Amino acid sequence: MGRSPFAIGAIGAAAAAVVLALAGMTMSAFAAAPSAGDTQCLACHGSPGMEKQLAGGETLSLHIESDGFAQSVHSVIGCTGCHANIDPASHPPAESPITTKREFSVAMVQICRTCHNDQFAQWQQSVHAALVSEGNPVAPLCTSCHSPHAVIKGAAEEMDTVPCKTCHGDIFTAYATSVHGVARSSGQTGAPLCFGCHGAHNVSVPSAGQGLKDVCLGCHTDARASHRDWLPNTELHFDVVSCPVCHAPQAHRRVDLVLYDSTTQKEVSEPVGVPEFESATGSSTATRTGLDPKTLWTLLSTLNRSGVEGKTSLKGRLDVSTGVEAHELAAKSAAISDCDTCHRAGAAAFQSVTVSVAGPAGIPISYGASKEVLSSAFSVPSVGGFYAIGGTRITFLDILFVLALLGGIGIPIGHLALRVAFKIYLNRKSHEQGKG
Amino acid sequence: MLRIYVHSLPVRIWHWINATACVMMVLTGIQIRYVGLVNVVSFRTAVTVHNWIAFILIANFFVWFLFYLFSDKIRIYHPELNPMKHFHRTVRQIIYYGYGVFKGDPNPHHLSLYRQFNPLQSMVYQIVMLLLLPIQGFTGILLWDLSRFAGVVNYFGGVRVVDTVHVLVFIVFAFYIPFHAYLGTLGRTPIEKFKAMFDGYEEVEEGQSADGAE
Repeated sequence: MGRSPFAIGAIGAAAAAVVLALAGMTMSAFAAAPSAGDTQCLACHGSPGMEKQLAGGETLSLHIESDGFAQSVHSVIGCTGCHANIDPASHPPAESPITTKREFSVAMVQICRTCHNDQFAQWQQSVHAALVSEGNPVAPLCTSCHSPHAVIKGAAEEMDTVPCKTCHGDIFTAYATSVHGVARSSGQTGAPLCFGCHGAHNVSVPSAGQGLKDVCLGCHTDARASHRDWLPNTELHFDVVSCPVCHAPQAHRRVDLVLYDSTTQKEVSEPVGVPEFESATGSSTATRTGLDPKTLWTLLSTLNRSGVEGKTSLKGRLDVSTGVEAHELAAKSAAISDCDTCHRAGAAAFQSVTVSVAGPAGIPISYGASKEVLSSAFSVPSVGGFYAIGGTRITFLDILFVLALLGGIGIPIGHLALRVAFKIYLNRKSHEQGKG
Repeated sequence: MLRIYVHSLPVRIWHWINATACVMMVLTGIQIRYVGLVNVVSFRTAVTVHNWIAFILIANFFVWFLFYLFSDKIRIYHPELNPMKHFHRTVRQIIYYGYGVFKGDPNPHHLSLYRQFNPLQSMVYQIVMLLLLPIQGFTGILLWDLSRFAGVVNYFGGVRVVDTVHVLVFIVFAFYIPFHAYLGTLGRTPIEKFKAMFDGYEEVEEGQSADGAE
């Protein structure tokens, strides 16, 4: 008679609990003295330079640093904790089952999951996992951040050992000199390191949507109230201006017009049924100009053509140009608080414009647009939801204003001049008639 | 020459508050919209002043509205129901402003207690007071707190749409205010109409007005 899945699970959980309890109790002993099995493994794998050629042509290092492994939190489970499939009797196999290092790392994620299921579940929600699903060959897996044979608890919480900087070196450099990085370096553990804003395993892109505001206000809980003291329309500014725009004063800024469905209030993932979108933008970079005001208006009209469900609109957001700049956060005293910085014609903030759609895992895909999309008369129907007084004013209205002012002052002056001229003429005429 | 009391005290107080506030709104509006080009006060100060004066203007609007609604003075705004008569008087007034005034012709409109406005004035004042000012007040309130009124703002198509309407009305006022002030100089003397808006009395030729004459 077979056992029920529940019973198997319960037995497994109990066994795991016992193993972990024992492991915890004897951790230091294991760390100091590897088990006989591990000693057997390290007899070969402890030799520097041990490696093998993979079928795919890569060279896989098989060397395990004995001391590093002994200090690793994984030493308690020993080599077979993860490599249970290896049969010492037939090891090494005549034919390597590993084709490429990447393929091996992807497969080993399932081994990590055996014990770290919660973290695995979080990782699955992350931008990293989304990139892996897309087939990105360098998107991080468990072993990309956690050196599997030298896992040190708390390594990700130290400036020196945080793994994020391996791939995001330029961003980390910007962070390290920021108000957060400097505070963290000086020992203020309350200052955020990478995971503080991005999450440890469920790594997200805070700049997408309202994520950044939520992240910042998560710690700076009084920020909303303190801004309300001096910033008119505070909530609006919080909605459409990302925090680094003012708090990274040296950063370049851009307006990101996000395509979203105003019925569902969700970002549009791709401009379905509008093949001219790609050709109209011409570039997926923010630096090149693509969509002009009329094309953008036509694009939106096409997206909202009759028969299409929902209503696609553009939601504007002022952001910094790059992820690196988003991390160059300065001290509060250096933040921009002068309204004139943005609320004036030609403000730097409105010289670069992108139109974005939601990409995988919330990473926006941005297309270049000309800055005139913010100041053309076409912007009224197409960019109705984004406007900065003074900064993105419509040129046509300025022309109308000048004409109105000239008319309001000029017509009375002209009328007055005519009255005076007529009076002189009539007086002269009457004088001449009097003489006659 | 007869002196008739046409502008009662509440109307005169309302008028000058309205005039001062409108001028201030246009000036602060110019400062807000054209920072960099105009730098009389800071953007922040201009916005603060603009907002405060706006509320005074809105309150003043209701003073005007309620005064006329609950007094017999509302008759001065009653429209001419005969379209031919209205058309004829309007054309006559346009000809006067466009030509007759240069020759020294008398103003075809004869002022009386309940016929203070010529057809052009009557039309323009009603457009200004019953259409433009309410639109400006409404859009201004929406722009004052966009988050609070986000639902209404989005209903109208977004902040840019609301602002564009607000700016268009601002442009009309920028044209109208100096024009209105100039038209005030077209009395028998350049200051006659201004003086009347302070003391309430207008002078009319004898025989041309009977009601309310002193």
